[in-house]
Amino acid sequence: MTTLETLQDLLIAEHGLTREQLTPDAELSALGIDSLGFVDLLFQIEDRFAIQIPGDNPSNLVRISDVVTYIDSLRARAAPSESPSAGT
Amino acid sequence: MRRVAVTGLGVVSPLGHSVDALFNDLLAGRSGVRRLAPFLCERLESPIGAAVEFDGSAHFAVPRLKMLDRVTQFALVAVAQALAAAGIDFAAEDRSRCGVCVGTGMGGAAATDEGYDVLYAQRSQRLKPYTVLAAMHNAPAAWIAIDHGLSGPNLTFSTACSSSAVALGEAARRIRLGEADLMIAGGSEAPLTYGALSAWEALRTLATMDRSDPSASCRPFSRNRSGLVLGEGAAFVVLEEFERAVRRGALIHAELAGYGLSTDHEHITRPTVAGQAAAMRAALASAALPPEAIGYVNAHGTGTLQNDAVETAALKEVLDAKVRGLPVSSTKSTHGHLLGAAGALEFVISVLALERGVAPPTMHLDAPDPACDLDYCAGAPRRELRLEAVMSNSFAFGGTNAVLIARRA
Repeated sequence: MTTLETLQDLLIAEHGLTREQLTPDAELSALGIDSLGFVDLLFQIEDRFAIQIPGDNPSNLVRISDVVTYIDSLRARAAPSESPSAGT
Repeated sequence: MRRVAVTGLGVVSPLGHSVDALFNDLLAGRSGVRRLAPFLCERLESPIGAAVEFDGSAHFAVPRLKMLDRVTQFALVAVAQALAAAGIDFAAEDRSRCGVCVGTGMGGAAATDEGYDVLYAQRSQRLKPYTVLAAMHNAPAAWIAIDHGLSGPNLTFSTACSSSAVALGEAARRIRLGEADLMIAGGSEAPLTYGALSAWEALRTLATMDRSDPSASCRPFSRNRSGLVLGEGAAFVVLEEFERAVRRGALIHAELAGYGLSTDHEHITRPTVAGQAAAMRAALASAALPPEAIGYVNAHGTGTLQNDAVETAALKEVLDAKVRGLPVSSTKSTHGHLLGAAGALEFVISVLALERGVAPPTMHLDAPDPACDLDYCAGAPRRELRLEAVMSNSFAFGGTNAVLIARRA
């Protein structure tokens, strides 16, 4: 499953949205995700993707595609430290 | 002075989620008190409560549901009932003249409990971002105003067990004084959490569980009473300026005619006859009614040793209740003590008693107490009463005594 699909599943379950609404260029604010909802979403992303969002919350995430790119960057950053144990 | 009409009633209670279901259960003596969830049974000495069967997801969709503590969910459902029953369409109202008064003793207890569990038990710092918004005491009142776009006064009262009696009384004052034309007023409480139950247990005021019949554990006015049983739920009324309600052809259940306050200032928990009597007298004065006009009293009747004897003495002193054979009952015997929501729920019950001419019973009163010697409608309702006015008593830890009087419209 791609990052986008996983994020879509999360938003459908936790934010009451539909897959049709969740196109890559859909804006979070247009989807009804306000500043509070965004903080909630970051928690859910941490849980769902097993990543940790560092310190200050990211403020430049406007579209769904921005969130996907952000998640992928965090996963890539986390990956090297996990690699020694991979395959054992 | 303007008069105040009661034009809509709504409840979410341990005895049902409509006023008819509630009143039918009361008259049948059915108790909402039961054993609590296994998790609580393992940890509490007396694991009983009057819980509401309620699934928030049936009423609210995500993501909004996550922002609403159980206490707010109860309130919004009860308010929707009351508004529908009153036939209010806010699109046709001047919403700046419409407000909200809510009473709650413990606010978002579940949100608070969950937050502490994350911090102290799970040793995590991942508190939900909505914790403050769900836990704050004024969340129910705020969401009611948001849902209906009401910009009039929005107030939350927290005077422990009299919170929602105060909310109703203060809402009625706003209308009486011309500061508002319509007020949604009531109370909500959802205290059946491990933390809140434990705190109440530590206070040694909760009833011992009747092991043969847990549902009969709350025994107001009975010699073998052992304390109160916590309950949860919400009750709301729509209050309107009387003439406006008449003009729009509303069904007027009653007039909220009297509201009296007093304070027991001697001790943080101990009630006094003088304090309770003063609140009853103040309510009668505010309604401009003589004591003999009161035909039924829904007592505070918690089932604690102290309250029931003191309240009995105060009822005798003010209403001559013993000599007159005045029907008095404590419906807490079956719906439990809803703390901050108790006053509103019991006012709704009092209004139903007034309208239907029936006094609901006090259940589980099987051992008369010489200190409690009134007619408590023990075990069975008193029917075919000709009621002109009824009184609902609410007394509180902290000392805020509040008494409401409903009069036939």
